[in-house]
Amino acid sequence: MLFEELKTIQRQSDGTPVAAEDLLRLPVFKDISPQFLKKNANATVWRHFKRGDIVCREGEFGSTAFYILEGRASVALATPIAHVKAQGRPSGFLARLTSKLTSRLSPRQEDRREEEADRRSIPIDAPVDLAYDHPVAGLGPGELFGEMTCLNYYPRSATVRAETDCTMLEMLRNVLDVLQKSKPFRAQLDETYRRRALDSHLRDVTLFRGLHQDFIDRLRDRVELMRFAPGQVICKQGDPADSFYLVRLGFVKVSENYPGGELVLAYLSRGDYFGEIGLLGGGTRTAACSALDHVELVRISAEDFREMMDRYPEVRSGLERAARERQDSNQQRLHMVRSVPLESFLAQGLMEAQSLLVLDLAKCTRCDACVTACADSHDGVTRLVREGLRFENFLVATSCRQCRDPLCMVGCPVGAIRRRNSLEVIIEDWCIGCGLCAKNCPYGNINMHSFAAQAEDHEHPGQKKAVVQKKATTCDLCTEHAEPSCVYACPHDAAHRVEPRDFFAGTLGQRVGKTGSART
Amino acid sequence: MRIDRTHKAWLVASLAIFGVALLVYAAYRVPFASGSMGGTAAGLAFGSIGFAFMIFAALLGARKRMPVYRFGPAQTWMRGHLWLGLLSLPIILFHSGFRYGHGLTAWLMTLLIIVVLSGVFGAVLQHYMPRVMTREVTMETIYEEIGHVRAQLLEEAEELIKHGAGVEKKAEVEGGEPDSSETAVAVMDEIAPLRNFYERELKPFLEKPGARGAALGDAAQARSAFAQLRTLVPASLHTTVEDLEGICEEERQLTLQSHLHLWLHSWLLLHIPLSLALILLGAIHAVMALRY
Repeated sequence: MLFEELKTIQRQSDGTPVAAEDLLRLPVFKDISPQFLKKNANATVWRHFKRGDIVCREGEFGSTAFYILEGRASVALATPIAHVKAQGRPSGFLARLTSKLTSRLSPRQEDRREEEADRRSIPIDAPVDLAYDHPVAGLGPGELFGEMTCLNYYPRSATVRAETDCTMLEMLRNVLDVLQKSKPFRAQLDETYRRRALDSHLRDVTLFRGLHQDFIDRLRDRVELMRFAPGQVICKQGDPADSFYLVRLGFVKVSENYPGGELVLAYLSRGDYFGEIGLLGGGTRTAACSALDHVELVRISAEDFREMMDRYPEVRSGLERAARERQDSNQQRLHMVRSVPLESFLAQGLMEAQSLLVLDLAKCTRCDACVTACADSHDGVTRLVREGLRFENFLVATSCRQCRDPLCMVGCPVGAIRRRNSLEVIIEDWCIGCGLCAKNCPYGNINMHSFAAQAEDHEHPGQKKAVVQKKATTCDLCTEHAEPSCVYACPHDAAHRVEPRDFFAGTLGQRVGKTGSART
Repeated sequence: MRIDRTHKAWLVASLAIFGVALLVYAAYRVPFASGSMGGTAAGLAFGSIGFAFMIFAALLGARKRMPVYRFGPAQTWMRGHLWLGLLSLPIILFHSGFRYGHGLTAWLMTLLIIVVLSGVFGAVLQHYMPRVMTREVTMETIYEEIGHVRAQLLEEAEELIKHGAGVEKKAEVEGGEPDSSETAVAVMDEIAPLRNFYERELKPFLEKPGARGAALGDAAQARSAFAQLRTLVPASLHTTVEDLEGICEEERQLTLQSHLHLWLHSWLLLHIPLSLALILLGAIHAVMALRY
């Protein structure tokens, strides 16, 4: 038993608040003020789970964290590890004619997408990560899970089930907040992290896979674990680069300033890293990073980073190549943003888009053939709505526009949504279908697609049952076809997929230049 | 579909087909000037070609119902529909030798003329109306959502009236007046014109926007009504009046959108059924003519 003190504590029934005196007997609560615990008497409750009981389910919203006192639990993803793929029928003349797209789930082994993450593990809201190929892990006494749900109200990232009879403390944010500041508690969490997750986090960075175990063991004790409050600046653009960071918890906003404003380059979540460009390049930060919510980082000092570069030339060359590519694409994006005079388009997040569906309202008879075609092409689920922003006589229909500030990426409990270098959104295979990205998208451009899947039957352990599971999807431009279905089906030559820079800055920009301004 | 420069190739091809058909007709018509044209080789050829054009034009409807099939871009089908459908009239006239006929042939000719004319009318509408709608209806919404948006506008207006009363009361209290029953009566008096206007003018208009005689349905009359209302209410309610005017304007736009939408699509209620009848009767005519 990890907590010998438990023997002296009178355990109460499930859901009963834990008395302050009992909490204070536990080592992790020793630093907490008794007055605080008394004032928040109902904020921590006893939870007893029998073997096989579900503690929490992936995708569910919650506001509490769990701390295991006794017993073991498993944490797993029930969602199929696959992405939504729109697929036509096999090739051939007739098949092309009747090429109705069907949406199906396709794992990365079958369908490798461009710039798809090459991760070996899936980040979750627990002290462990899950292996991509077998997303199940164990949790034991002294481990905390559900921090992100508790602190930031994000959906549960995985399903936790009691593997033995378990006793846990379920706590609200006010208690967890105070615990986070307690040295013994932090020390225990940090120790668990160093022991259980640091390896997988480092090895998830493709370029670090060549690191030897002895070096990782050395890093384990040297890295600094840092915490940032929501909105706190981690580093400013132009600051001296003195460290490399891995995201352990929360979301980091990476942005660059340009004369017309700020361009969000990425929202980084657990398992992502940043800071290498500054260390490898001119020694200054090329972008600003700030905490979007409660963020915890693993800081590797410049000294250790350089030692790693010296000892592992292949890691150095890989990182240098990756940094060059990242810088080039950032430069391209900034150039794209700077070279466009139409501030209103920028403000609407249109200019950075790789591709937009534009309807020429002077030709459009509002027949909705484009919407019908999209729905017919994707199992009846349309990915576009004939409504959106208007510029002159052009309507930018609602379909993914790869915004400058991609709010859809904020809060994904498993970090499954991100953008490619082209800014296009990609939803990774381990999307758990919680729908937060769809809710966050200000333009309603992310759809939840339902699929029939086999899942464990909790009422009959060991058996499976058919369930409906969801995966998030965005417009894929009907990549199976030379032309998107919406454009192909428009009988009035009104629907066009355009490259916004050419279209707005060229066609419309000239017109706007002549007439004065664009109407929004 | 907008008829613009992109139709040049279709226009040239159609004129060429028409020219060739006219030459053939002139060449064959002279020897058979006194007799029927339909039964001759040239007449049969004209009939077959004209009917084929009609069938192609009719297939646009089927093409639209199968958007996922890659039978060629829908706009190509639409261009073909417009030009070949239009060409079918002169070709069939060549087939008939410009005779109206009796019985089934007369019905066919009548149907063809109505279908082609309604099609031309529709093409003209679809050429101009989208631009009119884009220019005049700046707050356009999805047509099917209009009912929902109207309900929202009514709700918003109700809220504004309730909120307006609150604002006025607050202004009185902040102005140092005691919050007594006398003040309450004074406040009620001051917002009375707003309430009356809402109950008598705006609410009925929002509930039945298409009703005849609704003064707010006319932009100029509405402007004058709201200007008058402003003179009757205290300055603290002018923002509320402005918001109500905005709601009224949006309602007028929705009404206009509904009307324009009906114009854009209602002609199809005549064009499509008659086209189908034309194809059906045309097929019967072809079988009967060839058999008997």
